Amino acid sequence: MKLMTCPLNGERNISEFVYGGEVVDMPNPAACSDQEWSAYLFIEENTKGIVKEWWMHAASSYWFIAERNTETNEIIRTFPSSELYMQRVDFRAAKE
Amino acid sequence: MSASLNSMRLLQSTGLYLDRSKTISFQFNGQSFQGFQGDTIASALAANNCKLLSRSFKYHRPRGILSMSGQDSNTLVQIGDEPNVRADTRAIEEGMQVQAQNVIGSLEKDYGSLIGLIGRFLPVGFYYKAFYKPKGAWRYWEKLIRRMAGLGKIDPGSEIEYTDKQYRFTDVTVIGGGPAGLSAALEAADNGATVILIEENPILGGSLNYARFKTDRDQVYRIRNELVERVSSHSNIEVLTQAQCGGWFEDNWLSILTPGRLFKLRSKAVVIASGSFEQPAVFRNNDLPGVMLGSAAQRLIRLYGVKPGQSAVVMTANEDGYGVALDLLDAGVAVAALIDMREQISLSDLSQAVVAKKIEVLNGHTIYEALPVAGNRGIRGVKVAAISGEGKVVDETRTIDCDLACISVGYTPAAQLICHFGGRLIYDESISMLKLDGMPKHGDKCKAIAAGSLNTVFDLQQVLADGKNAGGSAVAIAGIGVKPALGQKLLSSAVEQNHPWPIFSHPQGKEFVDFDEDLQIHDIEQAVAEGYEDLNLVKRYSTVVMGPSQGRQSALNNLRIATKAAGNPLQGLSITTQRPPFHPEPIQLLAGRSFQPVRRTAIHHRHIELGAQMMPAGNWLRPAYYGLPEQSENAVEQEALAIRNGVGLIDVSTLGKLEIRGTDAAEFLNRMYTFSYLKQPVDRLRYALMLDETGVIIDDGIAARLSENHFYVSTTSGGSDSVYRSMLHWNAQWRLDVDITNVTSAYAGISIAGPGSRDVLQELNCDVDLSADAFTYSEVRRGQLNGIAACLLRVGFVGELGWEIHVPSSQARYLWDILLETGQKYGCRPVGVEAQRLLRLEKGHIIVGQDTDGLTVPEEAAMSWAIAKKKPFHIGKRSVEILANKKQTRRLVGFTLPKKSVLPQESNLTLKDDHIVGRITSVARSSTLNEIIGLAYVHPEQSDVGTSFDIKLSNGNRLSTKVVALPFYDPNGKRQEI
Amino acid sequence: MPLSLLKYGLTKQPKLQRHFPPTPELKNSYDVVIVGGGGHGLAAAYYLAKNWGITNVAVLEKSYLAGGNTARNTTIVRSNYLTPEGVQFYDESVKLFQNLSNELDYNILYSERGHLTLAHTDAAVRTARWRAEVNKHLGVDSELIYPDEIARLCPQLNLGDDVRYPILGALYHPPGALARHDGVAWGYARRAAEYGVEIHTQTEVTGFDIEKGKVVGVKTNRGNIQCGKVLQAVAGMSSEVARMADFKLPIKTIPLQACVSEAVKPFLDPIIVSGSLHVYVSQSSRGELVMGASAEAYPLYSTRSTLEFKEELMMHLLEMFPFVGKLRVLRQWAGMTDMTPDFSPVMGLTPIENYYIDAGWGTWGFKATPVCGKRMAETIATGKIPDLIKPFELERFYRNEQVGERGAASVGH
Repeated sequence: MKLMTCPLNGERNISEFVYGGEVVDMPNPAACSDQEWSAYLFIEENTKGIVKEWWMHAASSYWFIAERNTETNEIIRTFPSSELYMQRVDFRAAKE
Repeated sequence: MSASLNSMRLLQSTGLYLDRSKTISFQFNGQSFQGFQGDTIASALAANNCKLLSRSFKYHRPRGILSMSGQDSNTLVQIGDEPNVRADTRAIEEGMQVQAQNVIGSLEKDYGSLIGLIGRFLPVGFYYKAFYKPKGAWRYWEKLIRRMAGLGKIDPGSEIEYTDKQYRFTDVTVIGGGPAGLSAALEAADNGATVILIEENPILGGSLNYARFKTDRDQVYRIRNELVERVSSHSNIEVLTQAQCGGWFEDNWLSILTPGRLFKLRSKAVVIASGSFEQPAVFRNNDLPGVMLGSAAQRLIRLYGVKPGQSAVVMTANEDGYGVALDLLDAGVAVAALIDMREQISLSDLSQAVVAKKIEVLNGHTIYEALPVAGNRGIRGVKVAAISGEGKVVDETRTIDCDLACISVGYTPAAQLICHFGGRLIYDESISMLKLDGMPKHGDKCKAIAAGSLNTVFDLQQVLADGKNAGGSAVAIAGIGVKPALGQKLLSSAVEQNHPWPIFSHPQGKEFVDFDEDLQIHDIEQAVAEGYEDLNLVKRYSTVVMGPSQGRQSALNNLRIATKAAGNPLQGLSITTQRPPFHPEPIQLLAGRSFQPVRRTAIHHRHIELGAQMMPAGNWLRPAYYGLPEQSENAVEQEALAIRNGVGLIDVSTLGKLEIRGTDAAEFLNRMYTFSYLKQPVDRLRYALMLDETGVIIDDGIAARLSENHFYVSTTSGGSDSVYRSMLHWNAQWRLDVDITNVTSAYAGISIAGPGSRDVLQELNCDVDLSADAFTYSEVRRGQLNGIAACLLRVGFVGELGWEIHVPSSQARYLWDILLETGQKYGCRPVGVEAQRLLRLEKGHIIVGQDTDGLTVPEEAAMSWAIAKKKPFHIGKRSVEILANKKQTRRLVGFTLPKKSVLPQESNLTLKDDHIVGRITSVARSSTLNEIIGLAYVHPEQSDVGTSFDIKLSNGNRLSTKVVALPFYDPNGKRQEI
Repeated sequence: MPLSLLKYGLTKQPKLQRHFPPTPELKNSYDVVIVGGGGHGLAAAYYLAKNWGITNVAVLEKSYLAGGNTARNTTIVRSNYLTPEGVQFYDESVKLFQNLSNELDYNILYSERGHLTLAHTDAAVRTARWRAEVNKHLGVDSELIYPDEIARLCPQLNLGDDVRYPILGALYHPPGALARHDGVAWGYARRAAEYGVEIHTQTEVTGFDIEKGKVVGVKTNRGNIQCGKVLQAVAGMSSEVARMADFKLPIKTIPLQACVSEAVKPFLDPIIVSGSLHVYVSQSSRGELVMGASAEAYPLYSTRSTLEFKEELMMHLLEMFPFVGKLRVLRQWAGMTDMTPDFSPVMGLTPIENYYIDAGWGTWGFKATPVCGKRMAETIATGKIPDLIKPFELERFYRNEQVGERGAASVGH
């Protein structure tokens, strides 16, 4: 069983965690093209190497970000999502 | 069988595993045998001069002891309902019934061996080349061929023996209790590490228990005894014997299998000291009973006090064979000759001791052929010849009589655990041996060190030193105490261990490379000649190394033969990938006890008392209906009518319940759900439809605004976790000022519905004004109900006057009881899921997951009304807009059929011009409406009210029906608003 | 005894013929370069040669012949899909499989066992019926059956209600079959080679020459070659190879593990799949139980094994077959699968001209081998996408369209 270090709860078996996908920036839904939006939804980088991913510790429902090597499965680092998401996000309606 | 009882048993002084004070009787193929406590099946049989243990897989050739260490498939037997038991390591038990397997007739007379006669008609890969002409012929051949498949038998009446699992944690785990492992464990423990030592045999010592190492055996025993004594009494070391490490997995996670328990062991550092497997030589009839590895003969003598034969020939390519010869002499076995494959005459102490015993030593010779006794059940001698080149002998041969041939021509590191996890064994021509190509790298949390003969170190002093080094390194990796100074890196001492080519083909064949799969030299060569020269293809085409022993005795020689046949150099080549487990693992030990927890609501036991039939709903159990299964239809009908005409109670505790608090609570819901929540008045409810980013419906519920900054939101029963997680995930990115809490288990929910529900509630002591004017439809109030803090939501899922009452779970059973009791005079009864589904269907409400599927978007489900178009964002917004510009392919509509009609089934198809356009998602007979009602997807062109469409029943018949307006019942929603 | 074996046995020194020639030198140029020497690539090569007379073809395989997912799957063939697109596509595959031994003159050991997808919840029963109805409407033999009929087909199954998820019904698909996975690839390779197709093993593609949006050459570890057209068929590595050609795919690489038991005498005929229990199991012609579960929870380019996989799988297996507890697991392994958002493949054109894609097979690639090879060959030869594979084009994702297999896909081997 692989280990993962939750920034909140410390080192745990990876079975306690839920994978949440790669960290991807959402294009501005009010401004992007249909194609850009669809690519955001469906097209994957699927990098072989180090990626940033969302993970959640299931029992505490805590979401954080991990840097993991998808070739070796080595987890390089885990950290609170606030390191990347520092500011409140707001959406504006598309301009007419 | 004429042999007298235990005729091959040696004197008291040998037999490390035995307790000679205890005699044990068992049966082998119906015949009674006796052995001692500590005997294995094979050793007890050998003591009784019974050599024949099994028949081979393909040719049903007689097979006997090969490794005497549970590492080969020659000794597979059936014990009762347990197939494929290794007879050479399974201890005998009183009354044990052991049977030969894969025999046609009996072990002694196996008609399956007739296949050997036609062996030349069944070349390797033969099934790819035949049996399929004419077309359809394979169907018949397949039956015949399948009948020959398999070894042991499964008994369908066999029962599971559930075992427990245990988690363990330690600083250092040492795998292997031989000299390297013992020495590693001591070094680690002496330096302050807690150590778990894993040994698969009943006692510690490994090769120290049976191998000779030196002329003076007592000296070896002294070393052994001292090591074992120190390890056994060390307070930092825990020894697990009869324990096998099945695999070394990520982050030093080890599976340790013992007869009754699977240990899952997390270790800071791992020392792998699993030793080596002695390798067979390949010559004609090298597979017959009586031909065994030198170490097997030594094990028989030293561990079990059994004389392996009467007269032996030893073939060797190293000093160990001389030790075998001396041990045989000690055990009273005549040694007819020692065949040393090496040209050079050995001058070691061991060889001198052999010469001193007047044993004839033939250098530069090999056994060319073993001579079988009648029926191939043993050997009567060997043909010996001088080696004239790689795999070649001179014409002149000499026959030496013997009933035992012991083979000591080399080793292969037992590196499975390392190779499972990315390590490689590559061929080193300088030592004619497979060698570990370094250790795989898996990051800081996953480090193991190989020790002992795994590192091709064979000299005893060097093995001990290597073990010590490994123990020191393990302590350093584990981060315990001071890092001990590491000794010098040892030089490999394997130069004299392996013969480079102990392989001699014979014009008449039967020189076996792989005993498991009955593969001979020409089989391997043929695979190469037919173009399957990559070692992986040799394996896949011929099945070499694919049998129960996974190539322990065949991988090395196969590599040699296949590589030579392909004309390639051996240096640096790797054998095919090894995979876990180390030993085959019993399914029940891996499974352990079934752990599939179920969620029960706070009212569960009341449902059972009321006779409910429970059904799974996600992880939950819910009452399907109350009553006997044979009266289910009536029960559902009565329950539905109770709500339509009186009062019903439904346990809705399984609904997900979330509390959203904070100044951004409304903004947050506005993003998560499709409706608009910013202006939702306090004390009001609003439908909540959740889409994913692709615009697909994934959940729904009700959002109750309890105060300006506080919402209480329900989700579907199966959706609470995923919705909750998704909310947290989004807000980790949006960083809105909200706090999200999953209170699903904290609160129970009881739905009270029906025209009489207000009357029932009003009889309780309730501080909320329930009158129609004070508490209107789609509102929420918090208050006290008979002293219980309750949240009352006036909802209409089933289409009648009603409330969902949410209370702390601890109070739910009381509330249920009091409602049921109070409601009695109003005809109140408990109502299950099935009636609830019928009632909501009458109202045309969809169930997410039943009336939607993995791709249903709101417009298809006729849910566009639930989408606020003007707000700047919700999760599915962008996709909904994209989809709005596309042609729809289906739409959910209502339909009815006369009550007398055949009842179509959910998932029956709907057609347009004979093309599939959709399916029925919900359908039921409604007593209230006196007709069949249903929801179905149809083509958008068919979706206007009054349009007819076809339903295809499961039997192929068609029914024509028409789209009707929804809801079916109380279209103006008057009843829920009274 | 079949004549071919008699003849072989009676010949004193039987002359052995290579089934495929050794890897030749790379030529300067090929009409078609197929990247990936697995079942799909080899099948495409065979049909290009046989059906379209295109034989100046090189199949490039970075490892040994058919050593990727072709060698790692659990060999199940079936066509009981949920969508009409899926059913029609796999139905053609089943039909090709049924005649494949004779077509290739190579016995692929095709074994029709019947396929049972167990349903343990009423939702699963509904899905099973949905699949059965779609299948039947399209002429594919499938039926929703109930425990009495399940007991007749597989009396060994535990149909009691003493388990967490009692069996309520099953989707029964009589044509469900097993085939020798390696044999399929080798059979295609052998016949393709006879037509003159070159098979280059240990030949790894390192890049592509793309001029003005059109592929014109392939770079390999053994040198560069020019090409007319390229077919990419490298399940598990699809994104990485596509990246070399500068386009992206809707694919995550996710490992799928499997294992086999030791061989025992035949006791299980049908192929059994349980979505709720995440188990599929069949007994091979050698007598081993071949078992698998659902794909792993997160992407990984590795075929490492885990203990957890076995623990969970065996726990669930014993619910279905409580009597196999003493049987032993012999070997476990893993493959890397291409998972797409809609559990359906990606076939056809790419943003690069003359560069064709065959990817996204999730855990279903083996069973599509013949049909995919045949239809991709047609696509390459004619430049037109056959209707049968049109629904699976890459472009669908850019239009926010998905194939509707998601409803049936929890464990759909």
